[in-house]
Amino acid sequence: MTALIELNGITKTLKGQEQRRTILHGVDLRVEAGESLAIVGRSGSGKSTLLSILGLFDRPDQGSYLLDGQEIGKLAERRAAKLRSSHFGFVFQRFFLLKHLSAAQNVAMALVNGQGWLPRRERRRRVLAALDQVGIAHLAKNRPAKMSGGEQQRVAIARALVREPRILLADEPTGALDTETGTSVIETLLGATTRGCALVLVTHDRDHAARMGRIHDLTDGVLTQRVRA
Amino acid sequence: MRRFSGRNRSALIIGLQGIRARKLRTLLSMVSLFLGILAVVAVQAGASIAERALLADIELTAGFDGTRVADLYGGPPESVDIVVDTVTGRADAVALVQVQATIGEAGVSPIQMGPSGSYEDAKTEGPADYCNTMTEAAPVCPPIGKAISVQLNAVTGDVRTFRPYRHVSGEWLTFGTVPAMAPRIVLNKEAAVAFGLYQVPAAMRIDGAVATNSITPQFIGVVDDGQGWPQAYVRMDELTAWTTTANAGMQVLLAGQTPVEQVLTSKLRAKNVPFDPYEVQSREDFKEQISLMRLLFLGLSGFVLLIGVAGVLNVGLATVGERVEEFALRRAVGTPRALLAGIVLAETLLTGLLTAAAAIGFAAGALKVAVLVMGDGDPFLAGLEFPWQAAVAGIVAGLIAGVLGGFVPAIRAARIPIATVMRA
Repeated sequence: MTALIELNGITKTLKGQEQRRTILHGVDLRVEAGESLAIVGRSGSGKSTLLSILGLFDRPDQGSYLLDGQEIGKLAERRAAKLRSSHFGFVFQRFFLLKHLSAAQNVAMALVNGQGWLPRRERRRRVLAALDQVGIAHLAKNRPAKMSGGEQQRVAIARALVREPRILLADEPTGALDTETGTSVIETLLGATTRGCALVLVTHDRDHAARMGRIHDLTDGVLTQRVRA
Repeated sequence: MRRFSGRNRSALIIGLQGIRARKLRTLLSMVSLFLGILAVVAVQAGASIAERALLADIELTAGFDGTRVADLYGGPPESVDIVVDTVTGRADAVALVQVQATIGEAGVSPIQMGPSGSYEDAKTEGPADYCNTMTEAAPVCPPIGKAISVQLNAVTGDVRTFRPYRHVSGEWLTFGTVPAMAPRIVLNKEAAVAFGLYQVPAAMRIDGAVATNSITPQFIGVVDDGQGWPQAYVRMDELTAWTTTANAGMQVLLAGQTPVEQVLTSKLRAKNVPFDPYEVQSREDFKEQISLMRLLFLGLSGFVLLIGVAGVLNVGLATVGERVEEFALRRAVGTPRALLAGIVLAETLLTGLLTAAAAIGFAAGALKVAVLVMGDGDPFLAGLEFPWQAAVAGIVAGLIAGVLGGFVPAIRAARIPIATVMRA
């Protein structure tokens, strides 16, 4: 059966000031629709680079990247942008909310991105649905400055979910939050998997990683699946 | 098409959000651009108004563009009668017969215009420096007395159809009534000044008059005909009651497409009188001169505009530098590079257009105030309106400034790597 995402032998080398450094060494990974997996590893182990390649921010030097069986690793930027819009949702450690926009407008940012045009009423319906999905529809008109860290991250998650992505990529989404809020945010992210969305979580937090369906360790660019006891 | 439209709308929405979020920066950009666009608007408005003023003055003496003009001098005596008989009562052709007249004391030389070319410093007594046509034959000019010499233009119809004489006071000649024995005369401004400054007897003598007695004229109005020496206008039939026009000079003004021209040409050629009207083309004649003047000033204002563009560019680059994360994030959520560039360009274009609107409004307001304050003193200013060409020039300048000022920041915005959000 064709996997939603399939990485085969992905290698990425970055040019340093003096020498080239291989960040990823022949990474293989399969992600099915609706499953969740965590990628854990030390700082500098290549987690973010792997996520950049998964999210089409960056291109691998070697290996293949299949989405629904189609090679997308070497896509032109224009087509990659279209795929990012239609298939991927992103959540970052910092929330990257625009302070001059309300929560609803921040979420709508993912809809007003030049990839098709939605009438205002439809945009509003989708934005409110996404905010409702993460439990903060009542804060739609609030600006980020008037929201807590947890609420802001939920707005960022709603922004990632508003286009109903098939893959949600989260890079340390709880890094700037306290434990309790972080747990709540992870629950919200996991909620998306019940609708068939795959979740790839990059985290340092063992507890959060343990809540995912699978855990992969990334050590010096080599990805290995952890066998659970 | 739909996708293209969506991108434009997205750029506009996000651009407007950006302007609202950075009002002070937008205002600073507008301030730096304002003078440049105002300079362009002012030059264009000034050139259009000057062109209009120049043409308006030329039209007074030469006639509207397209008018056909023929001068008839020294033909057989009946040629004047042929023209007058042909054009009298027609709206598409007017003949002017020009004779010299003196109003005032008999047997004296008229008051003579001063060195400045006006009656303000006129010579009012003593020996005459020159004789007018009435006394030209005399070996010695009589001394200057209480008399004013004018060129009398006898017209067969309303000459203002071809030359837009400006009303100053009183009324213009009426042509549908029975001719008066005392000729009704409309003076030009120069003649009105002379008659206002000097008291002269109301007795008129005309060159070649058949009447031996003086005629008593009625002054009924004053017009500005653009001439710098005294002129008077009278109905042809009121003049011919007193004098013959057989040897007078004549000018014929014809509408562009009138059959009268062909009729006159045939009739006059039959009498061996050449009749070759020329067409008034003032706008064409002055086009090069006006274009050169406009180009020169537009060049100067373009330089001022460039300084404004540098201001927009500076603010634009600073803004993009400040919004690196926003643009990287927008790329992460699928916004194409072209749209990011479009967002920045939309912001600078909107800023340019807003500034253009402000500059046009300011210039139009200033012109209105100038007209209100000085309109009474200068008849040209009265009724002067802001030329639409200046508004168009302002909008074009705003658009150009927006594109030039936003181009480099737009490219920078489009090149921001998405990884910026990953490393933050």
